[in-house]
Amino acid sequence: MTGVRWTLGGLGVALGAYGVLLALTRQDPQQLVEIALWLAGGVALHDGLVAGAALLAAVVGRRVLPRPWLAPATLALAVWGSVSVMAIPVLGRFGARDDNPTLLDRPYLASWLAATALTVLAVAVAGAVRARRTED
Amino acid sequence: MRVPHPHDFTSRLRSPAVAARVGVWLGVCFGTCFLTGLVSHWAQAPAPLLAFPTSPAWGYRLTQGLHVVTGCAAVPLLLVKLWAVYPRLFERVDVRAGRRLVGVALERGSIAVLVAASVFQLATGLANAAQWYPWREFSFRTAHYALAWVAVGALLVHVAVKLPTIRAALGSDVDDTALDRPGARRDSVLSRRALLRTTWAAAGVAVLATAGGTVPWLRRVSVLAVRSGEGPGGVPINKTASAADVLDTATDPTWTLEVRVGDEVRARLTLADLRAMPQHTVDLPIACVEGWSAEGRWSGVRVSDVLAGAGAPGDRDVTVTSLQPSGPFRRTVLPRAFADDPRSLLALDLAGEPLALDHGYPCRVIAPNRPGVLQTKWVSSLEVSA
Repeated sequence: MTGVRWTLGGLGVALGAYGVLLALTRQDPQQLVEIALWLAGGVALHDGLVAGAALLAAVVGRRVLPRPWLAPATLALAVWGSVSVMAIPVLGRFGARDDNPTLLDRPYLASWLAATALTVLAVAVAGAVRARRTED
Repeated sequence: MRVPHPHDFTSRLRSPAVAARVGVWLGVCFGTCFLTGLVSHWAQAPAPLLAFPTSPAWGYRLTQGLHVVTGCAAVPLLLVKLWAVYPRLFERVDVRAGRRLVGVALERGSIAVLVAASVFQLATGLANAAQWYPWREFSFRTAHYALAWVAVGALLVHVAVKLPTIRAALGSDVDDTALDRPGARRDSVLSRRALLRTTWAAAGVAVLATAGGTVPWLRRVSVLAVRSGEGPGGVPINKTASAADVLDTATDPTWTLEVRVGDEVRARLTLADLRAMPQHTVDLPIACVEGWSAEGRWSGVRVSDVLAGAGAPGDRDVTVTSLQPSGPFRRTVLPRAFADDPRSLLALDLAGEPLALDHGYPCRVIAPNRPGVLQTKWVSSLEVSA
């Protein structure tokens, strides 16, 4: 296994170095600074904001929600939260252009609100079913 | 407030057993994104060492659709993966560890690079697919391409470092606690199996919500796709005539198509001349780098007929120039294999109607297995070397 590991590691370093070389030779310093800021910003945004929000949700959820609703809420939050993060560019319609009605031409916010409402409803029902089961 | 310690994260869900299983699928998605991305760069290279194939006609539609769909699926996978290993961010480094410190520094450094490049790739890719450019300086195409190598390189290093743990985790039951951190001792309200099933569900939802941009029968389900698939002739538009600044030149009644061999103009064809030539109809997709695609029924004249009619030699790369005054795709190269392919047209009609202005009126290139940005619109000249 040691041989496989060293081969993988060596190949990884070589590919990564090629990527760095590509960036250094094809972008000017101003562009490289912005790339570096985006790289660092992405880590900071995840490790601070996204991970922090997940921790906060766990703490608040445990305090606020009765036990039967905890598991459904956790499941729902994982799906709803991650898909919502993915949907930020279309939800904001930041790239929309007045001259092109075929671009970003769906009712994103309405769909997202409907999906959010359905998720909340599903959690409420699933929790109620579990609560009744534990009562019986 | 103090800096958290790994022991503060007590959930048994944050475990190598979960991280390894999610990591496998994240690796599959990243690998698919990387390979299909390479295909896309190959397809767009002006003079590749190995010619890009003209068949199958739906090839680029498939690879670029996969690129964007697996990128979307990777978002929930990456978030759960990072959640599962988050406590390790706060692991203390013993500065007296001596030579082992070098290994620790390299490992943590490679993870920092991996996380940074992964987040960068998914964030810029998603923004680009929605034609959103929140950055000012860097070129999306160059940065996304360069960082893809960095991400895959860091991923390979990460797998090399973690291989014993990955094998042990995948080789034992998902609920096995042998590999767990010492602090992970609290059972969660969820089982590990339930968390994994939820993660697969989230990735599935991400795919269904976006894949309709390229899979027609999913159109109605994909509420988050960047296109509905509607547009003139049933084909959406990427760049409009107004954005390309060709409103006047494309509608000018004196427009002609120039055919040049070297510096010599061999023919100037009016729209009526083109309509008088033998007309052909092909069903070909417009497959955009942003991942959406749509099939159209195009009619017009064969590129090879136009060139032969003007006495231009065959078996040459063809430089296609558009009326648009600027932009990276104003001049594109139609490689010889595409120029000679009988399916490659200068399209005059879409779905039985004259081309809409936004689709490239008076004529546009439509060829099999090509990225949409190279299906040049508002063509003003074809040129081959002497």
